[in-house]
Amino acid sequence: MKYLLIDSATATLVVAIVIDDKIAYYYNQKVGKDMSSSIMSVIDEAFKTAGIKPRELDKIFIANGPGSFTGIRVGLTVAKTMAWALNIPVISISSLEVIASTPSNQNNIAVIDARRGYVYAGVYDVNLNSIMSDQHILFNDINQQGTVVSYDSYGEIKPNIDILKVIKKHINDEAVNPHSLKPKYLKLTEAEEKLHKFHD
Amino acid sequence: MSTYILAIETSCDETSASIIKDGHTELSTVILSQMDTHANYGGVVPEIASRMHVENITLVIDEALKKANMTMDDITAIAVTYGPGLIGSLLIGLMAAKTLAFVYNKPLIPVHHIAGHIYANNLVKPLSFPLITLVVSGGHTELIYMKEDYSFEKLGGTLDDAVGEAYDKIARVINVPYPGGPLVDKLAHNGKDTYSLPLPLDDNSYNFSFSGLKSAVINLVHNEKQRGNEIIPANIAASFQNKVVEILTKKTMKALQNYDVNNLIVAGGVAANRGLRERLTELCDQNNVNLIIPDLNYCTDNAAMIGAAGYYAYKLGRIADLNLNAKANDELK
Repeated sequence: MKYLLIDSATATLVVAIVIDDKIAYYYNQKVGKDMSSSIMSVIDEAFKTAGIKPRELDKIFIANGPGSFTGIRVGLTVAKTMAWALNIPVISISSLEVIASTPSNQNNIAVIDARRGYVYAGVYDVNLNSIMSDQHILFNDINQQGTVVSYDSYGEIKPNIDILKVIKKHINDEAVNPHSLKPKYLKLTEAEEKLHKFHD
Repeated sequence: MSTYILAIETSCDETSASIIKDGHTELSTVILSQMDTHANYGGVVPEIASRMHVENITLVIDEALKKANMTMDDITAIAVTYGPGLIGSLLIGLMAAKTLAFVYNKPLIPVHHIAGHIYANNLVKPLSFPLITLVVSGGHTELIYMKEDYSFEKLGGTLDDAVGEAYDKIARVINVPYPGGPLVDKLAHNGKDTYSLPLPLDDNSYNFSFSGLKSAVINLVHNEKQRGNEIIPANIAASFQNKVVEILTKKTMKALQNYDVNNLIVAGGVAANRGLRERLTELCDQNNVNLIIPDLNYCTDNAAMIGAAGYYAYKLGRIADLNLNAKANDELK
């Protein structure tokens, strides 16, 4: 089976192709603001390096957030368009869980900076079971034991993603209709927050 | 053999896909407008627009193909608006277009939003050259000379507010709800030009300026209120609209004369403005100028116009690679 995994929820772009449980291509680099210009070229290189054509793909895994709003949308738009075009299943996974797949002997607290002391955080055990659900929270309010894994300054250790572990965990998840695939921002827009406050 | 362009447009608050045959025939167009949502906020909220685009993008592409009874294999090339516009919104259409170009190994054609507005007219009647085009929208006010297909020489443009922007600001001053522009136009038709306002940037250039006129309206309303006089919104709208239409038509007619051109096309959302359409029709009749104004449904943002422009860009070999990025601001070249 041939799988494509994309995570563009942080400044670090992750693209992997897995063929028959082996990693055939793996990209993991900080691209920052070049996410939208570089992602398709990386995916193009992924297919070429793995020696497969898009039409041979069986399934797509997409990290659908939380994280950078624009970053999530860039990868998710690629994933849903590709899944629709190829008529193949797409499975969404938490971008925090992807970070939490980093090898560790205790629970991992995956963290993505959300500014002004806030973070997106989720706690996962070594088998990627959720211990604390993904949330938008003040970093200081996280009341959990574990290793803080983050690309940002909060991290005790930097992410070292275990692609095969993530895919194995979600391989039998129910696929989402590409049309209804959408990001999990875990945060309203400022305009919505203001409007809600006004009506409260 | 015919060329079929799948076009995608997401530069502001409309998610749209269209299939255009040979640059002039519309086979299908699907538009999902977010206007009702943004109306709650008194204007387009960029982050909300981006969020809605990502939810709708594959739906509009799917629907456009179904309506045309086609599959992606029938498509020759994919055209997409790369700018100018809201960056987060543009990115959704761009990523979808790049993905389709990659999966189906089809040419990717970047289209400037304003080239699209100009070529909307090609869906009405083939463009005749040379021509002058007056581009009037919420983000643009420009006079452009076109010697031939897909050649754009900018003669002048606004130095501050775009004309559509000025309409929206005036709407707020006289308490007209969002979207203000079309409603001010409607109001102007029931009003009289009774208020004295300046003709903005009445000089020899082809440039425009609307911020002074806008300030004049704000001051006028303020002063009338101070004096305890009742404001008549319809008359404010009519007085404002008359000055806008007068300066737009004056400079446009001058450009036609100086460049010895007798083809005029109007493009952009404000091309739907009734006051402007009526006055231009009158002036062009008097001066034997062929005037083309797009149908009202082509004035607002849509992918059909991007498909029309994209066809000519494709014929000229303007093809992008997968690194194509969106640009919030970009001159039409």
